[in-house]
Amino acid sequence: MKKLLRNELLDHGAAVVGFACLKGHMSGEIAHLDRAVSIGVDRRLNEDTLALLVKLQKRAVRFLKSRGFRTLAIPPDSDRRKGTFISKLYSLFNHKMAATSCGIGWVGKNGLLISPDFGPRLSLVTVLTDASLEPDAPMEHSLCGDCVLCVQYCPSKAITGLEWSRSSPFVELVRLSVCRSHKKTKRLTEGKPNCGLCINICPYGRKDESGEKIITNGVTAARGDHY
Amino acid sequence: MVTAEKKQELLAKLRSAVIAYDEDTAKEASNEALAEGLDANDAIFNGLVSGMVEVGRMFESQEYFVPELLMCADALYAGLDILKPHVTQLDLGVKGSVVIGTVEGDVHDIGKNIVKMMFDVAGFTVYDLGRDVPLDKFVAEQLRTDSDLVCLSAMMTTTMTGMKKVIDDIRTKNPNVKIMIGGAPVSQDVADKYGADGYAKDATNALKDAINMVESLKKMKDEVEAKKKK
Repeated sequence: MKKLLRNELLDHGAAVVGFACLKGHMSGEIAHLDRAVSIGVDRRLNEDTLALLVKLQKRAVRFLKSRGFRTLAIPPDSDRRKGTFISKLYSLFNHKMAATSCGIGWVGKNGLLISPDFGPRLSLVTVLTDASLEPDAPMEHSLCGDCVLCVQYCPSKAITGLEWSRSSPFVELVRLSVCRSHKKTKRLTEGKPNCGLCINICPYGRKDESGEKIITNGVTAARGDHY
Repeated sequence: MVTAEKKQELLAKLRSAVIAYDEDTAKEASNEALAEGLDANDAIFNGLVSGMVEVGRMFESQEYFVPELLMCADALYAGLDILKPHVTQLDLGVKGSVVIGTVEGDVHDIGKNIVKMMFDVAGFTVYDLGRDVPLDKFVAEQLRTDSDLVCLSAMMTTTMTGMKKVIDDIRTKNPNVKIMIGGAPVSQDVADKYGADGYAKDATNALKDAINMVESLKKMKDEVEAKKKK
């Protein structure tokens, strides 16, 4: 069943699909939905990405529901969804936690989910379910290694350079207030809060001028062979 | 007019859409119901609400948990948004208005909102004060709107005590108002101790109690007026 669902999602535009068991990590209200299907889409940060994510999410929900399982779909922009009853529960859940738990990637020094193949260029959506899908191997440590490009390039010096690991997931990677005030200045001077240098600079999944990935074998690199 | 068969099919579809917390189907079925000329009241009460009643039962028997309950409520509202503009004046025998809110210091309003939804579909006029409502505001709002019913909600033992003050204040100003309380720490004992007229374990019970209360209130008023005439 897991293979079937994964293939269906990949066929319809998902870049990566992972399955995680989150038993013991969920707060009481959603504890019975302890499996997560994490779906990543190559980020273009436009309307299409969002629409595609929602479409994939609905597909996964239909797939699981039609087989008699429960689902709770956490939308991609969960923090912006207000006004529905269920939106109150979205804050109990974290897309990155699900994605690292199913081994899609790790949380990089820039505080973003980094996948070996796509770097920080994935947009995520999660479907929680009670279907007993066999979980993938979780990611235990950050694989950023010695790379500090994002730390150096951050215009507001918000990135602390600390590293994430599953055992200490709450270290302060990014001083959010600093990052936020930088974006605020940007909005005032340029009309848009866009920054995103820490995304652009990340060597994982980045392509050079000719369109080749600069880290070619993402998976081996991610296992530590690169550094 | 729709055939009986088609009607049953549409009602079943609305009902199961709520139970399966499927917003898309709830919307689709609601539009279909309107297109087929099904009475909107019928669609709401025998379709959507009948689904929600089943959801309430499943929640009580612990088949469904909080997330499912919330998603079902969202599906109901998705359908309700479409059907409501087409509703002809509801007549449940009682028409009441209600002031509802979560008391000062408390920001938990999921339960309150579900109770509010039940009042909405039942045709009550609802004055929702929201959450973290200053205690005086309940009293003022009741006087302003002359509501038959005041519903107080609290999720914490620390904020629960504020309800007693509201009840006392309203009683001194307007003894006829019925007051109902609810929330996790509230029990029948607490309701008795605080002098509330009703205690609601969940949204379905809240509605049943509320209708009973308003009915008895109306009866009381009628009796008083009848006496005056004599």
